[in-house]
Amino acid sequence: MRIAFSNMADASWPECAKCLKGVILDLCGVLYDSGEGDGVAIPGSAAAVKKLKESDLQLRFCTNETQATREKFVAKLQRLGFDISVSEVFPPAPAAIAVLKERGLRPHLLVHDGLLNEFVGVDQTNPNCVIIGDAAENFSYKNINEAFTVLIGLEKPVLFSLGQGRYYKETDGLKLDVGVYMKALEYACDLKAEVIGKPSPTFFQSVLNDMGLQPNEVLMIGDDLVNDVGGAQHCVMKGVQVRTGKYRPSDEKHPTVKADGTVDNLAQAVDIILSQRRR
Amino acid sequence: MVSLGWGFMLSACRKASNMVARPDKRALKAVLIDLSGTLHIDDTAVPGAQEALKKLRNASVTVKFVTNTTKESKRNLLERLHRLNFDVQENEIFTSLSAARSLIEQKNHRPLLLVEDSALEDFNGIDTSEPNAVVIGLAPEHFNYQTLNKAFRMILDGAPLIAIHKARYYKRKDGLALGPGPFVTGLEYATDRKASVVGKPEKTFFMQALSDLGCSPSEAVMIGDDARDDIGGAQNAGMLGILVRSGELTFLPSRLNSRHACRCFVCTH
Repeated sequence: MRIAFSNMADASWPECAKCLKGVILDLCGVLYDSGEGDGVAIPGSAAAVKKLKESDLQLRFCTNETQATREKFVAKLQRLGFDISVSEVFPPAPAAIAVLKERGLRPHLLVHDGLLNEFVGVDQTNPNCVIIGDAAENFSYKNINEAFTVLIGLEKPVLFSLGQGRYYKETDGLKLDVGVYMKALEYACDLKAEVIGKPSPTFFQSVLNDMGLQPNEVLMIGDDLVNDVGGAQHCVMKGVQVRTGKYRPSDEKHPTVKADGTVDNLAQAVDIILSQRRR
Repeated sequence: MVSLGWGFMLSACRKASNMVARPDKRALKAVLIDLSGTLHIDDTAVPGAQEALKKLRNASVTVKFVTNTTKESKRNLLERLHRLNFDVQENEIFTSLSAARSLIEQKNHRPLLLVEDSALEDFNGIDTSEPNAVVIGLAPEHFNYQTLNKAFRMILDGAPLIAIHKARYYKRKDGLALGPGPFVTGLEYATDRKASVVGKPEKTFFMQALSDLGCSPSEAVMIGDDARDDIGGAQNAGMLGILVRSGELTFLPSRLNSRHACRCFVCTH
């Protein structure tokens, strides 16, 4: 009787931590808040990452970060005190480049200056698709209009969006994310963008493949209810939201996405996971 | 280029007038006319349009000019129409800016006005200190990352979003350019809120335009060059719509879709 109960309970947070084999972490808003310079580490996060690495769980980082090349932002995270390496991090740009190659597409880029180096060697002449990332200051009327002009001039317009986030938090407040400009171009051109990055299931699957794990063996921890938690749950992973980064109290009453668990921060999430596993 | 002329359109008006006649013999009382693309394109009058307007003036119908401008004040519009020899009075013009102003006054909002400077005079006297509402028109110089972030935070904190209209794009001399619609849609997505749209094709816009004319929608026709905003909107408000081929359609024939075409007249300018 008791065993049956515990099996049922194991399916839900936090008991599900007992059967986990891997954890995927979002970066911005979970490990650190972006802003001036390198931004700031969220208290306790560096120690939490260290604890996870010392445990028997596999760890990967899945981010929609598109303001810098992988090498650049991994170096930034190391400066902030995190034990993290490039091979553990999965951002959208490399995935997008793979799609371009596979489909023989030449992109017009509306991305952050810091991301341009990822696309060195990608043919951008006579573009037949548009890629938008979190371009921040580069989201000027002129630049968005240029992307629009490319799309509206194509027989079969193709728009790739590196993520579809609504907004994120920087040290000086909330900022509009790439999804907003994706929606703007979708509306202007009457088309549907292809999202590369979270919450796209193929993107999560590529991380699971790298871990060699089944989705029900993995937990995703993020601050974005829809893209981190909802995206993971859509792939049959567990999704836990932290009350840091872009978290807003209204997330806990969201009409369609309900996190398996909500915790104050990454440090608390990791303590709960590891204490469950010690039981 | 084939041109049936505005004369043909007038005959279409007469035909429309017959069509709307009800058993109680109600006839056509009002004609709403779009400006850009219908009476003029940029600073050129559409051939025959002045003459056609004169003829309408001699018929027993009231004429009103309705437009989705977001960057030109009524005074700017009137000056251009006069320069192009159109016989128009200021009180005959009803714009999406007029509609926005009346909504702001009615709700006592203090708006953050994301409109071009040239449109600001239509909001003279409106209190814009400590804004608690976002009004968004076509304002390329405001559509930058900082200003949109500011608007976004206000809306997230509860300020209503009012869109002058939601046009996808408009025609510029160098080609098509983004209208306010994409930016409104982006802010709606960011905040999970719906904008109140005050311009065409909203039903309230057409009803407001008719409100001081003392006629019902079934006694009015709308003439314009935009299948969705002019014709679809007018039909949705219970009016008949007459599409002219002088403006946007020369650019994008695909916008004349069958859903609208089967219910409206089409005239070449």
